[in-house]
Amino acid sequence: MNDLFIGFTSLTWQMGVMYIIGGVLIWLAITKEYEPMLLLPIGFGAILVNLPLSTVWAVTGAHGAEPGFLQVLFEMGIKTELFPLLIFVAVGAMIDFGPLFKNPYMIFFGAAAQFGIFATMIAATFLGFDLKEAASIGIIGAADGPTSIFVSSLFAPRLLGPISVAAYSYMSLVPLIQPPVIRALTTKAERRTRMVYHESNSPKWLKVLFPIAVTMISGIVAPISVPLIGSLMFGNLIRESGVLERLSKTAQNELAYLVTLLLGITIGSSMKAEAFLTLDTLMIMGLGLVAFVFDTAGGVMFAKLVNLFLPKGKKINPMIGACGISAFPMSGRIVQKMAAEEEKGNIILMHAIGSNVSGQLGSVIAGGMVLALVPLFMIL
Amino acid sequence: MQNFIDTFKYSGISMQALGVTIGGLVGVFATLGVFFLLIWLPGKLGKRKD
Repeated sequence: MNDLFIGFTSLTWQMGVMYIIGGVLIWLAITKEYEPMLLLPIGFGAILVNLPLSTVWAVTGAHGAEPGFLQVLFEMGIKTELFPLLIFVAVGAMIDFGPLFKNPYMIFFGAAAQFGIFATMIAATFLGFDLKEAASIGIIGAADGPTSIFVSSLFAPRLLGPISVAAYSYMSLVPLIQPPVIRALTTKAERRTRMVYHESNSPKWLKVLFPIAVTMISGIVAPISVPLIGSLMFGNLIRESGVLERLSKTAQNELAYLVTLLLGITIGSSMKAEAFLTLDTLMIMGLGLVAFVFDTAGGVMFAKLVNLFLPKGKKINPMIGACGISAFPMSGRIVQKMAAEEEKGNIILMHAIGSNVSGQLGSVIAGGMVLALVPLFMIL
Repeated sequence: MQNFIDTFKYSGISMQALGVTIGGLVGVFATLGVFFLLIWLPGKLGKRKD
């Protein structure tokens, strides 16, 4: 008789909390459209894995406990880092570096806006996380889900669930997080700064050579970053080669959708109540917000610093600096909207997108740097 | 270089994080700086030819 009601008798209040969390993620995905492609599968995965006996994770068969389908996906796609890397191929195929080629100096904003990663990592060590865990939490500031998953699956697998949820949640909240930080750090006059845009076409050979050269340089500077940058640039090379249009379209659509679907539900499966409902999760959510705020602040302050050395009439709109985060193209669009709100007809979109694209490069490079440097500074 | 790393390595976890921060930021700026040259130089040379 007990076996008949085992589902009911196995329920715990923690499972109930996880159903609510899963439900909230699904609600945010559907009604608010916050990163629906990821938050919906993550939310459903969180519910699935917290059902009594968690049969999606492990099933008791004739030969004892065997992995359930979500554990199989986890072992195959997350532990091996395969899913985030396949997502990078898809993202690479979607990136157009054209706006960056037209304003190459925008690339430095993609570096400055990674400041939040490192500031958050230091803050996390003060809260008791070890260096590898702190680095994984800091990477939330890359504003780049696959990089966060890649780094945390290597450095802090136990924190993968909360880190992924924080990364994707805050990415979807960029329109709410960035504007107040930008306003707090800039004057009205600075936000009204106009920037001249020169229309020019980048040569095809540069577009083709760029992903190859970037991969090689990154591979020499930080060999451990090659899987990340290599898959991103492979996708971009497919796009820019001009002879693999079908593969490029497949990477941008079918591959992206399929892997995102599997990635989301698999990440959700890492949100078991006993691992997720901890003080660490609360701290990670708080630190994730800190990371996004410091990223934005780092980019804006760097632009203001550059302006000190530029002659009048050539000043940069410091809001451009905030676009150096990897949340593409959301961040660029927000800054353009803010510029137009400050002064009608002020168009800085192409500069903003250039900075935003460089943020995608910067976040991957920063991820590679963290992977390379953390073991060097740790006492093993 | 090893001295620089050791200074941070044996001074507590937050100092280790500071070391990674310094190294990381320098590394990101330097790497993206090389990418900048990769984009900027061909444009500059192309203009000179014209």
